[in-house]
Amino acid sequence: MAVASLVLGILSIVFAFVPYMSLVGGICGIVGIILAVIGKKEPQKAGLATGGLVCSIVGTILCLIFYVACVGCIGCAVGMAQY
Amino acid sequence: MTGYFIFLGRTLPCYGVMIALGVLVSGAAGAVLVRRHRLVFDNFLLLYAYCFLFGMAGAKLLYLCLNIKYIDWERLLELEYLNQLMQGGFVFYGGLAGGVLGLLLGAKLHKIRIKEYLLTVVPVIPMVHGFGRIGCYLAGCCYGVPYDGPFAVTYRNIPYSLCDVPLFPVQLAEAVCNLILAAVLFVFVWKKGKTIYTVFLYLGVYGTVRFILEFFRFDDAQRGIFWGLSTSQWISLGILAGVTAVLLIMRRRNVKTGKISEKL
Repeated sequence: MAVASLVLGILSIVFAFVPYMSLVGGICGIVGIILAVIGKKEPQKAGLATGGLVCSIVGTILCLIFYVACVGCIGCAVGMAQY
Repeated sequence: MTGYFIFLGRTLPCYGVMIALGVLVSGAAGAVLVRRHRLVFDNFLLLYAYCFLFGMAGAKLLYLCLNIKYIDWERLLELEYLNQLMQGGFVFYGGLAGGVLGLLLGAKLHKIRIKEYLLTVVPVIPMVHGFGRIGCYLAGCCYGVPYDGPFAVTYRNIPYSLCDVPLFPVQLAEAVCNLILAAVLFVFVWKKGKTIYTVFLYLGVYGTVRFILEFFRFDDAQRGIFWGLSTSQWISLGILAGVTAVLLIMRRRNVKTGKISEKL
């Protein structure tokens, strides 16, 4: 769990900067947070889980910033359909 | 207002920044309340993650349902079109329903007693929402009626907004109401502890505020109007009716037993 959370956390940070991948990155980050919390229950992997938690939180926040615009989609999509 | 600002040479959407800030601040506030009432912080983090994931999904789902006739289904496999569809548009009540489902699922999967956490962190909801509404104000979505008085806002070059017309800052009005409600609930939970009346207070006040402020919104085409009221107004009415009914049932039970009970 701890290793998985670290991998997902790093992926979420990377995906935040990849075009069209912020949504996937955000989901990776949130799942990473969940796995990190579960992983912290194993004492020998607590450090790794904490690293995974930090990376996942940072990745989730970055993906939120780059992913969430507001309402632009439908208007822009309709506008694009006219060209 | 253009909906974006430049930070370290990078263009950032205002709404995304405000939502991220809201998540951080409300998470910290929730953590303070959790520690105050001697609950397990890791359980709070788990429930917060589930709530957030399902809340975003619910908010997006309701928005897409309300705007289903505007979706170009033939272009759904185009990455750019799909990304734009997924990026914008969220409805709060969809998020609230999704968030509650996420909480129930998280509590069930990880065997957490959800009631005490839910009653403790209710102030977090209007806090995130308040930041989100500030994001709406900066982004130009969920805009208000044409208005030429104090605090009027004029948007420029935002395709989904009403540009070059002074508008009532309904998003800011709702943000202020939400943040005041969050502060009141925070103090209430801090002093009174875990009580079901926190939930009733939140739902009752927010439902009323939302119902009233919806009359000052001008983006009707994107929200769905049924028999003169918007979707959110109908949901607000339903919530207010539900809260009233539950309070009456609780009052009747308390009168019968002669005791004050918070059990439903």
